[in-house]
Amino acid sequence: MTEPKVPAPKPRKSLALAMESSEGSIREHGRDFLIAFYSALRSLKLYPVENDQVQRALDSIFDTARSLYEVEGALELRVSHEFLYVNSVRLRLNLNNYATFSHVLTTLRQCGIGMVDVEEGVQRREWQIFLSQLLAYAPSDGVPDLSGLWQRMAQGGITHILLKPPPEHDEAFGDSEEAKDVAKRAYERSVAVTKELIGGVRMGRTASAKKIKRAVQSIVDQVLRNEVSLVGLTVVRGYDEQIFTHSVNVCIFSVSIGKRIGLTKLQLYDLGMAGLLHDFGKSRIPLEILNSEVPLTEEQEEVVRTHPWQGVLALFGLRGHGEIPYRAMVASYEHHMKTDLSGFPKTIEPRQLSMFSKIVAVANGYDTPPVRSFGKGVPVRPDEVLREMRENKDLGYDPILVKALINLLGVYPVGTCVILDTYEIAVVHGANPDLAQLHRPIVRIVVTAEGGRTDGSALVDLASVDETGNYRRSIIKVTEGLDYGINMSDYSV
Amino acid sequence: MTQPIKPGGADESYVVENLLQILWKALSAVQLYSSNNKIYLQAVDALRGALTLVWQRLDELQLQVSESALLWEDKKVLSQEDKSDSIPWTLFKDGVRSLTLSPGVEDREIIAFLHVIKDARLLAAEDPDDLLTLLWEEDFQHLRYGFVEISSDDVPRIQADTPVSQSESTPVSPGEIRGRLLREVEASGDTPEGVVDVDDFHSTLYFLDDWEVEYLTGEIDQEYQQNLRAKVLEILFEVFELQQNTKVRGEIISIIDSFLPHLLGVGDFQSVTLVVRRLRKLLDETQELTPDHRQAITALPVKLSNPTALGQLIQSLDDAAVQPTKDDIADFFGELGPHVLDTVLAWMPKLTNERVRETLRQVAERVAQEHPEQVVTALKTSDTAVLLQTLQLTSSLKVARLVPDFGRLLRHADTEIRRAAVDALGAIGSASAMKQLERSVEDEDRGIRIASIQYCVQHRYPGVLQKVEAVISGRALRGADLTEKKPFFEAYGLFCGNAGVDPLYQMLNAKRMFRRKDDPETRACAALALGKIGTPEARAALEKAKGVKDPLVRNAVGSALREIGL
Repeated sequence: MTEPKVPAPKPRKSLALAMESSEGSIREHGRDFLIAFYSALRSLKLYPVENDQVQRALDSIFDTARSLYEVEGALELRVSHEFLYVNSVRLRLNLNNYATFSHVLTTLRQCGIGMVDVEEGVQRREWQIFLSQLLAYAPSDGVPDLSGLWQRMAQGGITHILLKPPPEHDEAFGDSEEAKDVAKRAYERSVAVTKELIGGVRMGRTASAKKIKRAVQSIVDQVLRNEVSLVGLTVVRGYDEQIFTHSVNVCIFSVSIGKRIGLTKLQLYDLGMAGLLHDFGKSRIPLEILNSEVPLTEEQEEVVRTHPWQGVLALFGLRGHGEIPYRAMVASYEHHMKTDLSGFPKTIEPRQLSMFSKIVAVANGYDTPPVRSFGKGVPVRPDEVLREMRENKDLGYDPILVKALINLLGVYPVGTCVILDTYEIAVVHGANPDLAQLHRPIVRIVVTAEGGRTDGSALVDLASVDETGNYRRSIIKVTEGLDYGINMSDYSV
Repeated sequence: MTQPIKPGGADESYVVENLLQILWKALSAVQLYSSNNKIYLQAVDALRGALTLVWQRLDELQLQVSESALLWEDKKVLSQEDKSDSIPWTLFKDGVRSLTLSPGVEDREIIAFLHVIKDARLLAAEDPDDLLTLLWEEDFQHLRYGFVEISSDDVPRIQADTPVSQSESTPVSPGEIRGRLLREVEASGDTPEGVVDVDDFHSTLYFLDDWEVEYLTGEIDQEYQQNLRAKVLEILFEVFELQQNTKVRGEIISIIDSFLPHLLGVGDFQSVTLVVRRLRKLLDETQELTPDHRQAITALPVKLSNPTALGQLIQSLDDAAVQPTKDDIADFFGELGPHVLDTVLAWMPKLTNERVRETLRQVAERVAQEHPEQVVTALKTSDTAVLLQTLQLTSSLKVARLVPDFGRLLRHADTEIRRAAVDALGAIGSASAMKQLERSVEDEDRGIRIASIQYCVQHRYPGVLQKVEAVISGRALRGADLTEKKPFFEAYGLFCGNAGVDPLYQMLNAKRMFRRKDDPETRACAALALGKIGTPEARAALEKAKGVKDPLVRNAVGSALREIGL
């Protein structure tokens, strides 16, 4: 194997220059560079290299890279968790660029690239070969391995573009044990705070506003850093009372959808708070109704239907302890109204639902019992819930946000049990980061083709292909894990 | 100022220590001075310079945080035992255990960090924030912090679910599992249930379409543009109307009652105005209100216009603690009703903010115009400053029904008040107002006397004649100067008719029996008064005086004759 060329430490750019190149400028140039990178990849994929569009795209990446190097004295494109960094500055996603970023991120990850280090003097020809190699690269057995790419780049005479693997701790799917543990702690604390909050109302106590705030902040952090682990925890049942875990789950799904549609970190916090508190009104619903094991009477149903407006009143009780959670009040009031206002509570005047209410409604719709709770009612498979949300307009969800939810969860959401064409049984671990492969999630094989149980530790990307370009594994059927004695949460915790 | 770097191996340690000393000083500057202060700016420059020196030696700076020190490579680089002023303690007590700074932090984030430390030190235990929440909100890119969650050890750990209950039909052995799986796949046929049709998801779900992006962007913008307080208030009123449960309605009234001070505290006059309007609507339109609720709703706006509450509000406006728009303030006071006038007027002399003063003046003017009865109440105050303010404000409004009240104030002990009352009456100018002014022509204050007689002249009020006659024929004007004498004589000339020709002639020619000869100023004024009478008799009297030697008198005669017309 050809030894990778380890990039030599670069001389530090002059101080004056460093001060001059502000973070904002790097972001702007970095974004341009990323767009040029994406366009060149896409053009090379679609057209022969002689095509004008390809030539223009190569010109563009060559120029943007050169001008970035001239301003910065360095050019590094780094992948870390779900973010791209140019010269240590994190590029911010927004609605206009997230698909581009996502594609580049996925491409680099699939090739096992943690960093692209561009050196002074890089030639246009080197860009062309490098990008072509990226497109042609197929990791062996779905496991990213840089060595093959290093070899081909060396053969192609690329000397100014150096590739490095991701750091040890930055696993491809953001699922290191340490990261998982952090996500678990965030989840646990959030459930505990929600319990303190909702349970406290019944006892006449109030939860610490700081704790609530920290809980939501940590969920936002985890969604930004390690969404897969956190979303995975939403399938765990029996950790605590459903009302508490449901609130946290809705918070997680809301923030994740918010991230998909380009909300800023502080906006995600607002949204997360609205998600966490959306069912606060249930703290006023008698426990015998909430915990009823038998179908509710019409009268009891009516009582449950008061929880949106009861939530608004109850949330005013929190205000003595901090900022007034206005958005949460609005989301609490509106999250069952449906986009055509045919839900509840009924309103006197027509109203336009707030965006956050619509997001919380979608998150709530996905996590609402008995859909996700296996404790009561008939369990419904997660993929069926998604399909129903997408197809049944009477449910009154905003279709674009449902689309965002499917982008988040994939066609087969986390915790779905699937049978593969290899006759293995797998549990979905997370959506494929490549949006083009939403129907090919990352899974854990939990039963071998021979029917033997595994520890489920190995992650498999169902989008990976063999040497002939065929998918190595495909889903042939969704199944009910319980029928095979498979406990889905065994693989999320 | 950044100190020079020592040469040699201890270099790095020294620059770090140097940086932290400068950081500490910069924190003091941030705490004590505003951001445009010279000392603040110098401290910031020094801090940036110190960081620059660090980046010449280190790629990033990792610090450990203990109770009383910051450590770099296990060495104390900032030691502060006194907790009250300690950076390490401020960080440590809220759970921060490490700090990592990287190049770029000097641009903006290090200053933001110092502000966070400053703000965190001011937080009380019951505040919704602590250092960690504040640090989080800054979303630092070049400053990372490691922390421990304090008092979260008792949170139960999440475990995988309890084992799935194994029914008799649950396959256990690999063979059973495989057999079941094959049966399931076979039973599902060619198009197994649960397999997605890729075309269902192709393209439409990969990326959002342009219009969808546009829609989402618009919705997010709207989310942050909406008036959330108003929206929540509308929800409360909607629930009130829809829920007839007495307890629920009582709770909503109580929420609104305690919510109002908050709204005022943040200067959201729009929302308070909305509340007052909606409360009135509830009273007018909502059926089935219990007497208690009706009473409570009626009481809410009254509470707002309570002098103490309103005073607080005006004070916060004056302090610019809240800055609602002029229209919002006017709408708000308009909704409160006329009884706010007393308080507004009471505050106006104390206001220092010109914008607020002008706005409140307009508010008061409007109330006074529409509700003169409120001015009557205000005019009864014993507070001279307020009284003066009220008089000044209302004088321009010319409200006739206030004449008796203004008249009453002509006897006020304070000269300024009497003078303002004269102006107020003068501005009204009606016969009844002038009647009130009659007595002021004899006021002890010269200015008031002159103003009073001038208003009588201006409004051609003959009723003052008797008083004027007494003044000019008595001794009152003896020591007065020309500017005082002149309006009195003009008034006399205007109102006396031919009956005044003879006495004026005698004054003009200094022929009054048993009296000392009048001074030239009095004589000149008598000539002008004759000119005002303007009759042939008056003219004849003036003609006779044409040859008088005193130039002042002679000029006055000439002027009077010209007024009559040659």
